[in-house]
Formats: sequence, C-alpha cells, structure tokens
Amino acid sequence: MTTYYGLYGQKVQYLASDPTDVQIGQVWYNSTSATLKVRQESTVNAWASGGNLNTARNDVAGAGTQTAALGFSGYGPATSSASEAYNGTSWTNTPSLNTARLAAGGMGTQTAAIIAGGENAGYTTQTESWNGSSWTALSSPSNLGNPRAQVAACGIQTSALLFGGTKTTPGETFTEKWNGSAWASTGSLNTGRRDLAGTGTQTAALAFGGAGYDSATESFNGTSWTSVNSMNTARRGLGGGGTQTSAIGFGGSTGSVTAATELWNGTSWTNNPTGLGTARTGVSQNFGTQSSSLAAGGSPVTAATEEWNTILISNKTVTVS
Amino acid sequence: MAYKYCVAECWGKGFITHSDSSKFQVSGFPGNVWQIPADNQDANLWVNKVAGTFKTKAEAQAIVDVEITAAQAAWDALPDAQKQEPMNRQRPTAIVLE
Repeated sequence: MTTYYGLYGQKVQYLASDPTDVQIGQVWYNSTSATLKVRQESTVNAWASGGNLNTARNDVAGAGTQTAALGFSGYGPATSSASEAYNGTSWTNTPSLNTARLAAGGMGTQTAAIIAGGENAGYTTQTESWNGSSWTALSSPSNLGNPRAQVAACGIQTSALLFGGTKTTPGETFTEKWNGSAWASTGSLNTGRRDLAGTGTQTAALAFGGAGYDSATESFNGTSWTSVNSMNTARRGLGGGGTQTSAIGFGGSTGSVTAATELWNGTSWTNNPTGLGTARTGVSQNFGTQSSSLAAGGSPVTAATEEWNTILISNKTVTVS
Repeated sequence: MAYKYCVAECWGKGFITHSDSSKFQVSGFPGNVWQIPADNQDANLWVNKVAGTFKTKAEAQAIVDVEITAAQAAWDALPDAQKQEPMNRQRPTAIVLE
C-alpha cells in the first residue's frame, strides 16, 4: 500500500494545534479537531452576519463602505425617517431625516451623503443633505425634476446620478445628475424600469435588474446609457455595490425572494456559488465595493445585516472517505 | 442535496462568519429556522456554536408556516393604500423547505 511516508520520505506531523510556520502544501494532523489539514492559499467570496439594524425595515437607502456606512429611510411597517451609522460591527442611531420616505436614492459617504426621491404619501422630489451630524432639507432648485421612488443612485454628495424609478409601470428611463446643488436631466436608460440596482460614479455608472423581473444591464459614460450583458438571474428589489467595471448584485425577487449573488467584471456577470444567508428583496443598495459590500434590511421586513468579503483561505481540512 | 434544519436566534456579527460560509451554505427562513447541508461536519459544528436546536424537516416547516401565516394575516389587515408598492412589496408567500 502506498503511504505518505513512502511518497514523501517523512511522516505526517501529529499536532495538538495548527502550526504557525508552515509552507504551502505542508500536511499535518490536528489531534484536537481530529482533522487532516493541508496549507493552501486561495480566495473565497462569502457572506457573513453583521450587526443587526436598530430599526428593521426594507428599502433602506445607503451610502459609504462596509466599515463606515450610513443607512437611512425605509419601510417597516411604516415609512421611516430613521438614519443609522455602521462601523463594521454594529449600527448606531443618528439624527433622523426631515422627511420619512422609502425606496429613495442614497449617495455619498458616511459623513457626506444625500438622499433624493422616494415615497411618502406620494412620490417626492425632495433632496436632503447629511454632513455627518444632521440632515438638512434642501429647497428648489435642489428638487428632482421627476418625482419617483424605487430608483437607483450612485456617486458622491457633490457629484451623483439617479436613474430609473416609477410613476408608471414598468418604470421610467429618466436619468438625472447632481452637481452638489441642483439636478439636471441627462441621457435616458434604454430600458425603463423601477426597483433596479445601480453603482459607480456620475460619469461611469452601472444599472442592473429591476421590475418586472429584469436582467438588463446598462453602462453609463457620463452622457448616455449602453446595453451590455445581462444578469444571469432576472430579478427586482436587488442590492448592489462596487464600480462600473467591478460590481456585485445580490438578493431581490424573482417572484419569490432570492439569495443569489452575482459578480460583474466589466463584461459579464458570474454566479457566486453561495448566496446571502437570508434571502430577501428590497435590500439596501450602494454600500462598498465588489470585494467588500453590505446588505442591510429587506423584505420580509428584517433587521439582518450581512457582510460580503473576499477572504483568504489558508488551512484546508482534507476530507477522506 | 440533503439538508438538516435547526432553530437559532441570529445575534448579529459572528453568527455566520465568512469562514462558515466558505465551507457550507447556511440559508435562513422565518422563525429563526436555518437550513444547512446534511452530513457536513463543519455545519454540525456551526449549529453547536450558535446553540442551535436541531429540528426535523416537518418541525422546521411547521415553524416557517406559522410565521408566514402570521405575516400574511398582518398584511391582509393593512389598509388598501398600504398594500400598494412600494410600501409593501408583496403579500408574504408560502415557503416550502427543500
């Protein structure tokens, strides 16, 4: 019978704990966990639980990164003005919006954000600005040109883009750009839709998914939208993050809620082998990057937050039968 | 694929880690029901870590059904105006565990 000793001229180490100084390819037996292990290095994309929102709700608008995020507005089970900050571990309540709303567009960072549009007893055009301490309701000419909810948005507090949304079914093609003080119309989406996801910047944006159960993806160059390769799973109410050339789309509804997660490489979408821990629609948008994103809240109404990361797997358990 | 079920309350950060998710898929359902692959040592260790209580598929389905029924009743009791999108996305639908 072939043995490890026969093949490699040495025995497998029998250790109470994983060694700290090991070479790639080194094999050992961990007597505490009763597992045979090998040192390898590979990356895996995976979701993990994060701190729960203080106010459970769906359709939260978002801004910032996985470790410095701001989640605001939403519904659960009333239109919400709640605003919360996430530090990578837990959410902390911050001063509320002036106008409660849901399904609005959120843009910016944890300390410099804006919210525009949304639903509050009718679609609103109002824009509010966050300076890290409080929300300020802006007046004309800071209002959106077209009142609507279930929009997608991206960019920063002084240079943003808001697109799609609804006053009608299946949704609008309207795209508006923000210069820090006013909204102006720009090139329209090719496919009108609402409940879509978006990411990127004002001059390099990506729109994907939407109602009804759409897989269409479009790329914006600062002037016009171009149709590109579609998502693998058509859906609405999904979340997204990243850039125009490196994005993530997750969750949503295909008729029933889905946990499916897809990655965009600038050309095409690829299914990730594993999805969200809790399938949901109406999930937050616009947090982080393709390798470090955040899903907060959703419908059925939940406070659950999940963190998406690309992680390094170093020690692998060897399964034998 | 064959699955097992448990009930455990998600406490937030650390409940499911990236390391857990890299080894097996955990899927959450209403009523704090979690589905994990059967015959997976790492999944069994995770249930132990989160102090989960194993349930049969029938027991897990019953828990989910109770939650969905309650959610549907709450949705049905809403004023018509609040049943419209985007406020409420859809009436909660039945979930059949695999």
